[in-house]
Amino acid sequence: MTARETQALNLDELRITKDTPVGFELIGVKKKALIQLMGSRLWGRFNPNHWDPVYAAETGLHAPIQTGEMSTAYIAEMCVNHVGAAFFRNARMECKYIASILANDIITTGGVVSAKEPKGDGYRFTLDVWADDEHGQRKTVGTVEVDIDV
Amino acid sequence: MSDATAGAARTPRTDDLRPMTSVQIAQERAFITSLEEECQTYWDMVEIGDELSRVLDLTPELVILYADAVEDFNPWYEGWKMNTWRIEGSSPFGGAIVPPLLVSHFVLSVQFDHTKPFAIGSIHTYHDTELIEPIPVGSRVRITTKAIDKYIKRERRYVRHEVLVTDEDNGTLYVREIRDILSL
Repeated sequence: MTARETQALNLDELRITKDTPVGFELIGVKKKALIQLMGSRLWGRFNPNHWDPVYAAETGLHAPIQTGEMSTAYIAEMCVNHVGAAFFRNARMECKYIASILANDIITTGGVVSAKEPKGDGYRFTLDVWADDEHGQRKTVGTVEVDIDV
Repeated sequence: MSDATAGAARTPRTDDLRPMTSVQIAQERAFITSLEEECQTYWDMVEIGDELSRVLDLTPELVILYADAVEDFNPWYEGWKMNTWRIEGSSPFGGAIVPPLLVSHFVLSVQFDHTKPFAIGSIHTYHDTELIEPIPVGSRVRITTKAIDKYIKRERRYVRHEVLVTDEDNGTLYVREIRDILSL
C-alpha cells in the first residue's frame, strides 16, 4: 500500500457501529515474526524454543516458534481498531492456537461479524477472528464478543 | 504442532536468523546452558486445586516493552514518552490504559510456579478471556490462577487454569480467564 492509499483510508470508517451488518469484514494488521522480538526479555527469552534455532531443532522444531500471546495481541490490535473503547469493558476474546507461528512468518489477522444480538440500545456483536501466514495457513482462530452502542 | 516439526537435513546454527559475531554466539550458548535445569513436566508439576498468586505493577515502562514487541503503537497505552518520560497519557477512559491482553500474557509467570525450574516443553494452546474493566497504566494488580482440570485429548495432556486479575488497591475485577497448557 502506498502512502497515498493509506491517506485515502478513512480510519473512522473502520469503526463497527450498531448499524454494521453481519458479514462485515474487518481489515486486519500484518506483522513479521521477527526473531529479535520473539526472543525479547518480556516475551520469549525465558524459553529458547522461542528464539534459538539450535535449541528449537533439538526439541524437534523446524524453527523457533512465536509465543501464542503474540498472535493474540495482533488480533486484539485489529479489534481495538474496529471497536475502540468497547473492547476494554464487558468484552470477551477466545483464541485457539491451532498451528505454530515460525520465525520470519508474515502474519495477517482477519475477522468478520458473524452475529449481532439486540442488547440495550445497541447490540452484542460476535466476531470470528483469525491469524494466517503468508501461505494462507491458519495459525490462530477465535471469537470475540463486544457490546456496541449498548 | 506438526507444521513446526523438524525434518531438516542441515544442522541449524545460532546465527541462522540474525547476524552475530563469535562473541555473541558464545554468549547465547552460555545463556542457554545456564537455563538447563532438571524440571518436572507441567502435568506432573500441577495438581487440580493448586492456587498461585502474584502481584504485578503495571508500570508505564512495562507497558511500552509489551506493546513495542508486538508493534502496537496505539497512543492510548502511552504512559511513557521519550524526552518527557512518565506522563498521565490519554484514552477514552481518561489516562493511559493497559493493552487489553497484556495481563493475560503475564499469567504464565503465575501458573508456572516461579520458585521451581520452568517446565520447558509446555505450549499455551487456548484462552477464553473476559475483559471486564479497562486497567489504568500504573495499577498494581493481583493475578490469581487455580488449576481446575487436567485432561487428555487425542493422546495429549492438558492442564486447565482459571484466572482472576484484580486491582490490589481497590479490588476491581479487571479480567477473568480460562486457559489451557499442553504438557509433555
